[in-house]
Amino acid sequence: MTRRYAQLDVFATRPGAGNPLAVVLDAQGLDEADMQAIARWTRLPETTFVFPAESDDASYRIRMFSPRREVPFAGHPSVGTAHAVLDAGLAVPRDGVLVQDGIAGKLPLQVHGEGQERTIAVRSPRARVQEVATPEDPRLRDALKGLRLGALPPALMDGGRRWWLAELATEADLRGATPNWTAISALAEATDSMGLFVYARSEDPVHYFAVRAFVGAPAQFEDAASGAANATLAAWLADQGALPSPDGFYRVSQGREVGFDAIIDLQVDAAGDVWSGGRAVTVVQGQLDWPT
Amino acid sequence: MPNRRYLQLDVFAPRPGTGNPLGVVLDASDMDTSAMQALATWLNLSETVFFLPPDAGADYRIRIFTPGSELPFAGHPSVGAAWAAVTHGLVTPRDGHLVQQCQAGLLQVQVEGDANTPSIAVCSPRARNLESLSAPLPAGFGAITQPGQSAELWNNGPSWWLVESASPELLRNLKPDFAAIAAWTDATNATGVAIFALEPAHGHDIAVRAFCPGDAVGVPEDPVTGSANALVAACLHAQGRLPHADGGYVASQGHEVGRDGVVAVRVDDQGDVWIGGQVQPIIEGRLDW
Repeated sequence: MTRRYAQLDVFATRPGAGNPLAVVLDAQGLDEADMQAIARWTRLPETTFVFPAESDDASYRIRMFSPRREVPFAGHPSVGTAHAVLDAGLAVPRDGVLVQDGIAGKLPLQVHGEGQERTIAVRSPRARVQEVATPEDPRLRDALKGLRLGALPPALMDGGRRWWLAELATEADLRGATPNWTAISALAEATDSMGLFVYARSEDPVHYFAVRAFVGAPAQFEDAASGAANATLAAWLADQGALPSPDGFYRVSQGREVGFDAIIDLQVDAAGDVWSGGRAVTVVQGQLDWPT
Repeated sequence: MPNRRYLQLDVFAPRPGTGNPLGVVLDASDMDTSAMQALATWLNLSETVFFLPPDAGADYRIRIFTPGSELPFAGHPSVGAAWAAVTHGLVTPRDGHLVQQCQAGLLQVQVEGDANTPSIAVCSPRARNLESLSAPLPAGFGAITQPGQSAELWNNGPSWWLVESASPELLRNLKPDFAAIAAWTDATNATGVAIFALEPAHGHDIAVRAFCPGDAVGVPEDPVTGSANALVAACLHAQGRLPHADGGYVASQGHEVGRDGVVAVRVDDQGDVWIGGQVQPIIEGRLDW
């Protein structure tokens, strides 16, 4: 039997700019071993599987797999799957909200706009300020050496995963920064954190901020589009009264330095919850034939 | 934006998910090199092939990209491309025969069976033995070989170091030192290291594993590798050690990375190596890039 299948680029306005995702839209009949085998075979960071809702308060059920294991929740697969579900006509938002039912429970997704302009945002786990530091802090000194810092102090945020945030003086400082990987890995290890997330206010009228996410050892790479890390930045900006607009909405550019060009929308709502999301571009649309 | 026909196939696969995946873009005539490379990088498959109008003397033309670079020739993309060309009506074989054009030149293709379920064999570019390396072998490979066994560097477009394991058990249980393999292959401009062992069991004759963690490919262990299997056949042929008198045999690869790939290999009277296998169509649709 064939199932509807889509491959999307999430947080992107053109193919190749964002974070790839595979979506199997008619997953009924696939068991866990089938789903894991398909996710390994697609070789993408995540593959999601969509099942019909089992209760009235959910729009659809979702399972997410990396090539190695099932993932309880992740931001970009949730956002991309919701785009694919709407394109396929499998669910209709109620008052602008879809509810996905997954291993992590029922989670709301906000749908804004239509067609190419449509954006979808997912609510992130609450992030807290763990620690505010100075640039001279011996754990941070080497990782920040040579970077021109901005006004806000470095801070350690916890939003499920922990990140050190540091503001840089200008977007040019941010784009030209060379990560000191040895120092960033040492920082990540010493503070049980992912690594260093730097941000700067952008002169680009489309974006309010430009960001870069440096993940320490053993992975040690620059991430192209980090939903969760950006959500901790939004919580930090809200904590500092530094959100760039009164409605709590802003837009981030990430990934250009590693060959991508992701755009992520962030919103801090009246309750203090952070929503992260964006657009998605459909690259492959067709059928998947995986005998079970 | 153009809307292109797109396939994602499982090559050398007796069942879906057991072989090596391949992306196939059937209409790529307006794509430039950087667009093909960008799409291959985004798809993240071991290889993606792009169909282009052929020059005189060829039935179809493909370019082959890994996520990191373009390849002059590779086995599983060639087998998958021929399968796609026949099943999607891009070509009609003459007496079971096609000519594929790729960066490595013109390659002969044999097609048997009907147009919906063809059986494909691709003639690999001529294999050459470039170099022999006496023991002690680098990267710990001495531990799985017969004492004094050398490693052979062969080329049929890509270059592979070939190492014969003393037994299938040693081959299957090997825990490779990927950093050492990368250093060795980078220093010798090789695509990777293929190890093999004679194993007349379970419906095949030879067991193979292929490691390419170096700069050329950047994949620690490839699931099923056409070019390396063709070189193993050329090496065995040169030693007069092919498993069967008719020159044909079956190779098994991919168990150690959760696959179960099967490669049909044949060395013909001229010493040319033919590579074939089953192709499973998994994804069929349209692509916007």
